[in-house]
Amino acid sequence: MELLIIPFALGLISFLVPKNNIRFFGLVGSIIPVILTCIHLMDYMPGTWIELYRCDSEIPFGLTFTLHYDGISLLMLLLTAFSFPLIFLSNYNRESSQSNVFHALAFFMQTGLFGVFLAGDGVLFYIFWEFTLIPIFLILYWFGNGNYTILVKFFIYTMLGSLAMLLSLIWLKQHAHSFSYGDLIAANLTEKEGFWIMSGFMLAFAIKIPLFPFHTWQPNTYSTAPMAGTMLLSALMLKMALFGMIKWMIPLAPEGLECMQWIVIILGVLGIIYGGVIAIKQTDIKKIFAYASISHLGLIAAGIMLFSQNALTASMIQLINHSILSIGLFLVAEILISRTGTQDITQMGGIAEKAPKFAFWFMIISFASVSIPFSAGFIGEFLLLREIYEFKLSLGILAASTLVFGAVYMFRAYQITMSGHKENTQFTDLTWNEWLVFCVLGILALVFGLAPYLIGDLIKESAQQLTLIVQNNS
Amino acid sequence: MTNEQLLYLILLLPLAGAAINGIFGKNLSEKLIGTIGTLMVAIPFLTAASIFASFDNPIHVHAFTMLEMDTFRLDAGFKIDSLSLWMTMIITGIGSLIHIFSIGYMHDDKGFYKFFTYLNLFVFSMLILVLGDNYMMLFFGWEGVGVCSFLLIGFHYADKIKGMENSLAARKAFIMNRIGDLGLLVACFLLLGKFGTLNYDQIGIATILGEFQKDSVFMISVTLSLFLAATGKSAQIPLFTWLPDAMAGPTPVSALIHAATMVTAGIYLTIRSNFLFELAPFTQHIILFIGLATALVAAFIAMKQNDIKKVLAYSTVSQLGFMFVALGLGAYTVALFHVTTHAFFKALLFLGSGSVIHANHHEQDITKMGGLKKYMPTTHLVFLIGTLAISGFPFLSGFFSKDEIFAAAFGHGYLVFGLMVLAAAMTTTYMFRMYFLVFHGTFRGDSHTEKHLHESGSLMTLPLIVLAILSVIGGALNLPSFLAGDHAHWMNHFLEETTLGLALVHPHHLEDGTAIGIMIGTTLITLSLIFWAYSVYAKTNYPISKEQQFKGWAEWSSNKLYLDELYNALFVKPTEFISARLLMIVEKNLLYDSILKLTSGIQIGGNQVRKIQTGMLSNYLYFMILGVILFVGYSLYYFKFWNY
Repeated sequence: MELLIIPFALGLISFLVPKNNIRFFGLVGSIIPVILTCIHLMDYMPGTWIELYRCDSEIPFGLTFTLHYDGISLLMLLLTAFSFPLIFLSNYNRESSQSNVFHALAFFMQTGLFGVFLAGDGVLFYIFWEFTLIPIFLILYWFGNGNYTILVKFFIYTMLGSLAMLLSLIWLKQHAHSFSYGDLIAANLTEKEGFWIMSGFMLAFAIKIPLFPFHTWQPNTYSTAPMAGTMLLSALMLKMALFGMIKWMIPLAPEGLECMQWIVIILGVLGIIYGGVIAIKQTDIKKIFAYASISHLGLIAAGIMLFSQNALTASMIQLINHSILSIGLFLVAEILISRTGTQDITQMGGIAEKAPKFAFWFMIISFASVSIPFSAGFIGEFLLLREIYEFKLSLGILAASTLVFGAVYMFRAYQITMSGHKENTQFTDLTWNEWLVFCVLGILALVFGLAPYLIGDLIKESAQQLTLIVQNNS
Repeated sequence: MTNEQLLYLILLLPLAGAAINGIFGKNLSEKLIGTIGTLMVAIPFLTAASIFASFDNPIHVHAFTMLEMDTFRLDAGFKIDSLSLWMTMIITGIGSLIHIFSIGYMHDDKGFYKFFTYLNLFVFSMLILVLGDNYMMLFFGWEGVGVCSFLLIGFHYADKIKGMENSLAARKAFIMNRIGDLGLLVACFLLLGKFGTLNYDQIGIATILGEFQKDSVFMISVTLSLFLAATGKSAQIPLFTWLPDAMAGPTPVSALIHAATMVTAGIYLTIRSNFLFELAPFTQHIILFIGLATALVAAFIAMKQNDIKKVLAYSTVSQLGFMFVALGLGAYTVALFHVTTHAFFKALLFLGSGSVIHANHHEQDITKMGGLKKYMPTTHLVFLIGTLAISGFPFLSGFFSKDEIFAAAFGHGYLVFGLMVLAAAMTTTYMFRMYFLVFHGTFRGDSHTEKHLHESGSLMTLPLIVLAILSVIGGALNLPSFLAGDHAHWMNHFLEETTLGLALVHPHHLEDGTAIGIMIGTTLITLSLIFWAYSVYAKTNYPISKEQQFKGWAEWSSNKLYLDELYNALFVKPTEFISARLLMIVEKNLLYDSILKLTSGIQIGGNQVRKIQTGMLSNYLYFMILGVILFVGYSLYYFKFWNY
């Protein structure tokens, strides 16, 4: 319970802190959830379910109130907790860091995310899921150079998806005693019902991930959003959808998996290629990273749909890696944009010469993005591609084209901006907070690249339990 | 120290060197950086040599398990057998010499410490590649060297004129290698699926003991995938066009990475997987064919190149083709012998060209050189030795290693043999064309450069002399039987002893009479071509314009057979075209607009609904009554009221 109360309280306190201290407060405050989740990690035995809170009194309509986590949820909690200090730190010398509202909204967002990952009840999951949309929308609206049309499009579009998910939940409830996780899983469905219920969930998740062809809100939203907003979206909010697929959608309606599998995997593989090909010719740095993200996430979503223990482990490794990457990439984008005053890479150039530290870290992040060995992406991508390859050879080989496309768009972006020589331009090198963020990200990527078992061992048994549930029910 | 500790020493010292120079290098003097960088490669060489001195059994080290999956596990494990030990000695031995050379060559470069960091990092990756005991480790090293190659090709990315060009060359190399990597990836998947492991020994024993059909679909797909990877890294047709461009990197890089070590990774991979290739004769034919074609095509292009480094680059591609011919013929040890001698003389030639370029104020065009013999006597001498060695001049190292390939080809058939001899003849021709144009005749550059022509310092000439000596005596490693009797083919035996699979493949040895006949024949060709080249190119009044404007076949040669243009038209342009079209048609028109219509439709709908909220009581009453009627009607229907 304290995992929900503390971020919420931090959000409320943020309104009271004097303006010139707020960024310091935000940074220090966001460490508390990190410590809390780490304590949970210490006590955790892989494969167990930990119940944090249960409301025993009767609630009408089959609603229940339970908060619990297993290995996969715990990993997501850790990811959320660790991302916030990094995001605040990246944001430390930008305009929004002076704002009480921004920090309050961010903490509310964290509350919502924790809620999503802890929820032990379908409706609770839905409520927290929707709740996160409010702070992110306000952050995008108040702190971005927001185009209202783009934002409303994003808002309505994701709401629409969520609505489908709600309908699916209610439908599913017809076959279950209550909305509690256990009861929903126990529900027996026909294959057809399973498929339609799954479709409802999938629509919500496909829009949020976003999966090709539901992705059109993303590049524009990223391109106009403030850095912190993009990071929150890309590193955390999209991951809610992947988490939802693993923990909710598939175990709840495994009957529909066989049919849905094909659709999502094909869309995922299409997205890998589509995102990669489009990114090759983009000139807006944020859009390049947005399409790269579509490409990366298509692979993860396809991997999740295979739902074997191997595929889930691989997906989670790659999911964590993608969060590390997106914080890094969008920090890079922000640094480029704020110091050159343009989003167009063709107008940049020769920056490496002036800002060697930045060039070094941009290079490291680029390498991590094309998933070279020693970075977390390599093992994740290798295993995911292998799973897809085992599923269907041709799809696996198509998906593997990401190796080539990734290198093309990433190094194009890097070299056009950084290489060469440009007279009469100024470019300030990294400030301490940016440098620190890159260092932490770099170390994390390296550690998970060399020792992916740190993630694997935490979630393996939970993943196995989920696959068993699905096997028994389908 | 135990062997295990020695192995860690070999692996980790280059990494430590990279870390020290990378983190503190900015504040250290050039001398210190150079010393650290060199020592961190030289000590591993000495360590490897000490292991070599008392080597009898393979050494296995299991470092840790990276990830344990449901059905397989990924291990960080290492192994020293004769093959990996040999490669380690080449990498660290040649590596140390090139490090020493670089101290002189990179003097006063702004990125001096970065250069040594990258070089050490490269050596580390390369060692992971050859010392790993499974395909996963190989993959780690494989991409690691690709990254270092990328960094070093684009080393002068901020150059005022050539910065962007250098960067592009780096990108091209990385991307073409990535295409090859797809092959390695698929091969790993196939092997994992079949054997449940990526460990060389386990797969090797399973294939050798198991009853595998020859030329089964599985074996052909695995070996073709592996070979695709090899064509990328080792610059074979169709993925070789990156290597000539990679010459944008500083010359020591070309010598170490793009001649002596990294580009031989594909050959190492094939030798390592010999037990798989032996079961796929079909793939072996493909390798033979590709190797032969590459040897000929690259040699043809090298005939009319004017950039001193481009000539050497195409020559490297061509020589790698020779090695693949040997691999295609199943003569694995012969290929590694040529890898070794090639490492000696090609490193020598590249470093020699570096010395020449250094003296000529970074001019690389051979038509603007000439007569350098008298200005740079040491460089001239070692360059001549290198040229003779690569041309197969009797009793130099290249003579013996090429002869072994000829012998293998002779056993296979006259056509292959004939084409190999043709490729070797072209090698002699273009090498001596270059040598005479650079060192003989009169100087053709501007007078300012001529005034400053000088011999390079001892830091640069010393490694050259060592390499020259190795190029001369390197052939002694693997002498034919009529010269060495019982001690013949020492290297073959050494490799066969502990490298899995090699003992089962016996290279074809010719009878002494035939072998001597081939040697005499090829020697005669070589000598007459040298004499011809001397009579044409060494003249003081040679009309150089002949080498600047080409007609007929020479035009094709100097324009690299228009392959870059062809690839551009076939792959790059269409991809860009599709990208632009997809963006316009699918992304903008199809998806973006339709979703925008959907969401704005909802918005408009919302606005319409809002108008219902008029504030007039009567309207609300109507809606209330409507609601009640609907509710009652639904209840009647739901409870099936009419049934009661």
